[in-house]
Amino acid sequence: MTGHYCDLSNADVLLSCGSNNLENHPVSSKWVQRALDAGATWIVVDPRYTRTASQADIYCPIRSGTDIAFYGGLINYIIENRLEQTEYVNEYTNATYLIKDSYNFDPETGFFSGWSEADHKYDTSAWGYQVESETDGAQAWMSEAGVPKYTPKAVKTIKRIASIDDTSNPDYKHSVWAIMKEHYSRYTIETVCDICGMDAATLELVYKTYASTGAPEKSGTIMYALGQTQHHYGSQNTRIMTLVQLLLGNAGIAGGGVNALRGEPNVQGATDMAMLVFDFPGYLKWPSVTDTPTLRKWLETQPNAQGYYVNKPKFLIAGLKEWYGKNATVDNDYGYDWLPKIPKNGAIYTTIGTFELMDQGIMKGYFAWGQNPVVSDPNAKFNRNAMAKLDWLVVADWVVTATASFWNAPDMDPSQINTEVYLMPAALIYEKSGTIANSGRWLQWRQKAVEPIDEAKPDYEICDMLWREISKLYQAEGGACPEAILNVKWDYYVDGKIDPRPVAWALNGYEIDDSTDLGAKAPKLLPNFTKLTADGKTANAIWIYGGFYNNNADPYDPAIQPVARRHTKIDSEDGVNGKEMVPVPDKDPGNIRLYPSWAFSWPANRRVIYNRASADAKGKPWNPDRVLVAWDDSKKEWIRNDVPDFGFSTTAEDGTVTHNPPEKCPAFFMKDELHANFVTTGMKDAPLPEHYEPFETPVEKNLLNGALNSPMIKFAENESVKKGDRSQYPIVATTYSITEHWQTGAQTRMCPVLDEIQPRQFIEIGEALAAEKGIANGDEVVVFNNRSEVRMNALVTKRIQPLTVQGQTVHLVGMIHHWDWTNRYSTGEVTNELTPNVGDPNSFIPEYKAFLVDVRKA
Amino acid sequence: MATVQYELNRTHLAERNAYAASEKAILFDSSRCSGCKGCMVACKCWNMLPSPMELNSQEWNASLQCPYDLGPNTRLTITFRELDSTSPYRPVDWAIGRRACMHCTDAGCVNVCPTGALFHNEDGLVTYDASKCIGCSYCLGACPFDVPRHIGKDDLSGTAIRINKCTGCPDRVSHGMNPACVTTCQPGALQFGDRTEMVKIAEERAAALKAKGYENASVYGINEMGGTHVIYVLKYGLDGYELPANPSISWMTSASEIMKPVLGIGFIALVAGLGACLLSGIGYRRDELRYDEVNHDVIDVDTGDIVKHIDKEAGER
Repeated sequence: MTGHYCDLSNADVLLSCGSNNLENHPVSSKWVQRALDAGATWIVVDPRYTRTASQADIYCPIRSGTDIAFYGGLINYIIENRLEQTEYVNEYTNATYLIKDSYNFDPETGFFSGWSEADHKYDTSAWGYQVESETDGAQAWMSEAGVPKYTPKAVKTIKRIASIDDTSNPDYKHSVWAIMKEHYSRYTIETVCDICGMDAATLELVYKTYASTGAPEKSGTIMYALGQTQHHYGSQNTRIMTLVQLLLGNAGIAGGGVNALRGEPNVQGATDMAMLVFDFPGYLKWPSVTDTPTLRKWLETQPNAQGYYVNKPKFLIAGLKEWYGKNATVDNDYGYDWLPKIPKNGAIYTTIGTFELMDQGIMKGYFAWGQNPVVSDPNAKFNRNAMAKLDWLVVADWVVTATASFWNAPDMDPSQINTEVYLMPAALIYEKSGTIANSGRWLQWRQKAVEPIDEAKPDYEICDMLWREISKLYQAEGGACPEAILNVKWDYYVDGKIDPRPVAWALNGYEIDDSTDLGAKAPKLLPNFTKLTADGKTANAIWIYGGFYNNNADPYDPAIQPVARRHTKIDSEDGVNGKEMVPVPDKDPGNIRLYPSWAFSWPANRRVIYNRASADAKGKPWNPDRVLVAWDDSKKEWIRNDVPDFGFSTTAEDGTVTHNPPEKCPAFFMKDELHANFVTTGMKDAPLPEHYEPFETPVEKNLLNGALNSPMIKFAENESVKKGDRSQYPIVATTYSITEHWQTGAQTRMCPVLDEIQPRQFIEIGEALAAEKGIANGDEVVVFNNRSEVRMNALVTKRIQPLTVQGQTVHLVGMIHHWDWTNRYSTGEVTNELTPNVGDPNSFIPEYKAFLVDVRKA
Repeated sequence: MATVQYELNRTHLAERNAYAASEKAILFDSSRCSGCKGCMVACKCWNMLPSPMELNSQEWNASLQCPYDLGPNTRLTITFRELDSTSPYRPVDWAIGRRACMHCTDAGCVNVCPTGALFHNEDGLVTYDASKCIGCSYCLGACPFDVPRHIGKDDLSGTAIRINKCTGCPDRVSHGMNPACVTTCQPGALQFGDRTEMVKIAEERAAALKAKGYENASVYGINEMGGTHVIYVLKYGLDGYELPANPSISWMTSASEIMKPVLGIGFIALVAGLGACLLSGIGYRRDELRYDEVNHDVIDVDTGDIVKHIDKEAGER
């Protein structure tokens, strides 16, 4: 979330699209209800009339997989009716920037310019800016001792028009605004309804209501989750929400934002920690063979030319110092070469590709750590057959999951499977200490409540045992690239025992010298990430967490750290001070539910990111009742209810702090342009989100352009995918979670009380389709496509209505996915045997949310 | 002794108005309930009520409503009804309701309990002392909301032996906490406080819902059964929530009440009471019936016989 859960209560209009937030994030209901009580309007757009929809003021059904058409229509509606927040768009976005002449989109083909058929990808530079001039981007710290030599990027001045109304300017047609206006002019209400299966009057009401938040003092928030992201254009789905929020001036304000409601509480933590092939902790880029084979190359390509991300070299080098300790020196590029590099075809190492590699016999061993891919990954039947070709499989979990017993699936023959399976019993969350991060980026420390049962161990302890054994083997036998392992600094011990507290020091960041040894004594913790350096004198494992554990009074005591706050004041402005826990009242500066003395919100305890945009160019808040930051012109200082997301002050050499005036404080100062982007070169598949149909679609043609699927769809060519055609499988299927169970059910189905409140896997079928198929409520049905067939019970309901799409009736079914053949209290079949293993080119997320099936009575 | 206990109950009822201001109530606002069932889980966990432990043994009624009804170990269940839509902006009026003890002022169960096991506590909530329950099941027939259930069976007679129903969590409330269900409720659909305050909130909410276009929105429990200590805000009116329009204590309960002081408690009362229940044909063994939502039949769990068919089209409920 760019905001946080409590901030939902500040919204004037709430839009849940691709999120069933009341069911899957019940805590959101508390804050949504408060917004409604204050007079807000709530819109729910969902293929199903969910428990969330039942509470909304306006419900609008949508065909699964057509979100970009829906939002594109909204953008067109806003621009056509001039409902955007004009001053915000002019001041804070790149709307007035000029794009190169080489930019083009051809609706006839569905391709943007820059496409290379041979490479099967876009040259995204075709969508870049027209550059006016360039100046040297060097900064003083870059030439200090210990900082690796590299040529910083030149700062580019981009050609612009005066404002979005500068239509007489001969270059107007090259402006981002004009390009965007033209691009979405095709997304008329009529076309959108024809694609999404919506009713025009309802859609117009939705557009009108949401676009009303373009008024400067109004705020609109978008809640989304996997319903948006799990498509082969899922990243573009996310981006188009950003476009809408920027147009309406809803980003960086209280009650606004683009709010991803994360699944498992710690899924936010997992992404922060870079549990992804292409990421380095803290959303930095992992080195690759092709683009960043050397440190110098990384430093010359990854940071910005200006803006806050010009500091990325500090974050990476502090990261390398944490990784390799004293072995990392400026002379050996801080050990950069020891990091494994992503190969040219890195995509095949993402989730979907992994199973292809197993199937081809290339990948011989596999760790499934707190993950249950045999149930949760698409085309699950293919996956478990691929796993049968592994030599070994290690599962770390607290129950025998379907992954751990894939060989025992009803259709598998254990006698034919030679995979050696190891199950490492893992401790539950309550059986270990450590941090957890929620959707709102809040980090909290949790103490261990009970000892793990039997031989179960915390993950970090399992990791430590593995580490010691692997190191021993490399020491004894050498092997390929032993330096990558043997040079690693591994000193996360307290009294000789692996412990999460030294890990927390590493995540926070600390000063280092030759004697630094976390296992021997606590280091000097840094107050925040602005103190990180690129000269090898600081270490930090993930820069965004800087300041979350910074109290030097006793680094061994998590209870006095910012991350353990429970309405207690332990920090000065710097964040470090004393051992006392001073209780403070329910501190809420500005009365907008920021609660800064509760937990720690990364980055820097900032509750709403991009918060400079909550005030106008002169620093006057758009809404005087919802002040995040404001410029007090008489005192020449910033009122800071939230931690400013901009360089609000300058400290002189004598220590005097002066506040920087508003005109020196750009709203999106982390961006290279210092402005938020509508058109971007940052995505692989499109500079502006464009509607494509799901991989398996019930329609013959894309009404908006000549391409049915996105040209950049990943893995579609793999044989295992077995694409289904609409002539065989006319029904649109989507998968979803219910409030009673969690993900693969491995945990929740082990709780009898949760099985009792929802004991059976089901498929929701509308009454019309049920009648057509002779299916009565409760009947067992078979759901099938080319990939598999799955049995479950029918829940026949009025809550799913057929949609009229391109003149045809399209039926939709919804399947929950919490069951498999394992478990003690309730069992079922694996829904994900039906989902296609194709994905997004940016994030590689699979397309779980829109595919084709047919249904028959069992 | 038994008579004394009985008299205590009566005294409590008669003097109710004297300390009405201190009475508590649970407010259930159906328009805020998201049907997450967190309250059901909290109830089970706090009150240590077991769930089925055999593989796939929990019955499923092709509905989100699970368990479908109250049971020997289920004091609370959330109900889901799909009514015909009254708005173009939704396909269905989805009534999400709550089924549990209503904690009546004129509580049939308290009136009829021969041992004084059931009683009103100081907050006005109907709770019980299980050690005094003799398993007579009078309370079952006496409840217009079909709430009380019994746990376990007597080995000799096969009759249920111990009452189970919502107590209002006196073990929490007496320590200044809210009942378990209320504590866990995220959207604030459940609130707990002074009954007068809860009634006020409910009435304001119903008015606000009406203003928003939910024409049938209403409040339930202000006057029903002398005023219940669970106040409902019904978003879609009475129809979607399995609540009787005019609840009353059955003639049988009144009859047994007359019999009680005459007969005192004990074996004679038990026999007489059971006789009354059997004669009236209601109440007794209702915990072993199950409702089949598909065919709208009430089925005897032991025999599988259809006891009653509910003709929904004719408006039967």
